[in-house]
Amino acid sequence: MTEYLETTADKFTFRVAVDRFYTQEGVWALRLQPEFPSRVRVGITDFLQQRSGDVAFLSVKATGTRLQAGDELAEMETVKVNLSLHSPVGGTIVEVNKALEPSPEIVNQAPYGEGWLAVIETTSWEQDRARLVDAPAYMAVMKSEVAKEVEAR
Amino acid sequence: MTGEGTEVVVIPCSGIGKPYGTVARESAYDLCDDLRPGATRLVALAKLVLGEQEARERVRSCPVVTIDGCKLMCASRLVTHSGGQVTHEVAVLDVYRRHKELKPEGIEVLNDEGRKLARVLAEEVAVAVDEIRRSGAPSGAGHA
Amino acid sequence: MPSAVKAKVGIVSCSGEEIAEGTVARLATLKVLHELRPTKTVTICLPLFLAGGDQDREFARHHPTITVDGCDQRCAARGTEMYSARPAASIVVAHVAAAAGLPRPEGRRCLDDAGKRVVTLVAERMARLVDELLDDGQGPPR
Repeated sequence: MTEYLETTADKFTFRVAVDRFYTQEGVWALRLQPEFPSRVRVGITDFLQQRSGDVAFLSVKATGTRLQAGDELAEMETVKVNLSLHSPVGGTIVEVNKALEPSPEIVNQAPYGEGWLAVIETTSWEQDRARLVDAPAYMAVMKSEVAKEVEAR
Repeated sequence: MTGEGTEVVVIPCSGIGKPYGTVARESAYDLCDDLRPGATRLVALAKLVLGEQEARERVRSCPVVTIDGCKLMCASRLVTHSGGQVTHEVAVLDVYRRHKELKPEGIEVLNDEGRKLARVLAEEVAVAVDEIRRSGAPSGAGHA
Repeated sequence: MPSAVKAKVGIVSCSGEEIAEGTVARLATLKVLHELRPTKTVTICLPLFLAGGDQDREFARHHPTITVDGCDQRCAARGTEMYSARPAASIVVAHVAAAAGLPRPEGRRCLDDAGKRVVTLVAERMARLVDELLDDGQGPPR
């Protein structure tokens, strides 16, 4: 059972899963241990999906694609924005979430669960992880983003 | 209720937070005012929220078409919650995915692409309305 | 109890599609949300009260909420009270039009001139209510 940190702004509640690591952009990486210690599942955060809006189109790089950390992992188009999502780790994509092809809205409905994007076999997990932040640190990043958006209106 | 004289109830979500809600509203007007004026009746979703008696009786006794902006499917869920049966449901998001060139923008006033998307959706639903009236049986739920 | 980054007022519109006054309610709400008081207001979705919007119900319970209805059925006001909490203020478009001596708005898809004027009047009334509600935290200033 995944545990979450939560924060609320206006009527919106944003959750951050405590069991994974994050890029500042809002992509998470969850290590699939103990079964596959060199593999991570990746997806986007609750904050990123709420801010971006309903996903209309989603295109994730194919299985077999080799990536470095920071390379484009997926393109996501919502009613508000076109986003390029970048991989939090380097490695090879070994699985892409096929459920998203007919129903990309699952990303909005379950960003930390069924809405995962891909599984990556990592090549340098410890090195990549050092560049990611944990849940409390991402929560701080997210709160700062929320405050900026409110001030900007 | 069966037969070609059957009036089909149309319920859009009219969601106010996104362009999809405006597309749903506009397409309902296209359908009920332009394309199938004698065959359809527009019912406000807000009445179902309130549990208004006449609205509840209509959705229970007539075939119902719902037009939702997004996959939350508020109109469809509220019809079911009110004891009605959704004969045909459509989400604007799904129609947009089939017409990627018609990206809707604007909530107060839709852009041209949004207006065209509303029309495309209304024309698709008009075909469904014709089928509902022809077949006369509001059984099960059809999707677009 | 949710904690707001800034205090805000929730607005619930009936958006009733059947009559022009519902369109007026919708457009007046959007005018307040996007033009008149964009940093002080948030829209609350009436259908979500029943279709699973805990966030919307909770917000309306803990923050001042203004409802805008097209007609005397007052679906937004009654629905908000039924599923969340009594609104701090409640506006009925038909009453605003009558009080201003304006004819009933026409054109549920494309408002006539009277309808557009009522949009402005309702939106301005809502903006004043927002200011009152946030200034003193009291309500309802009906």
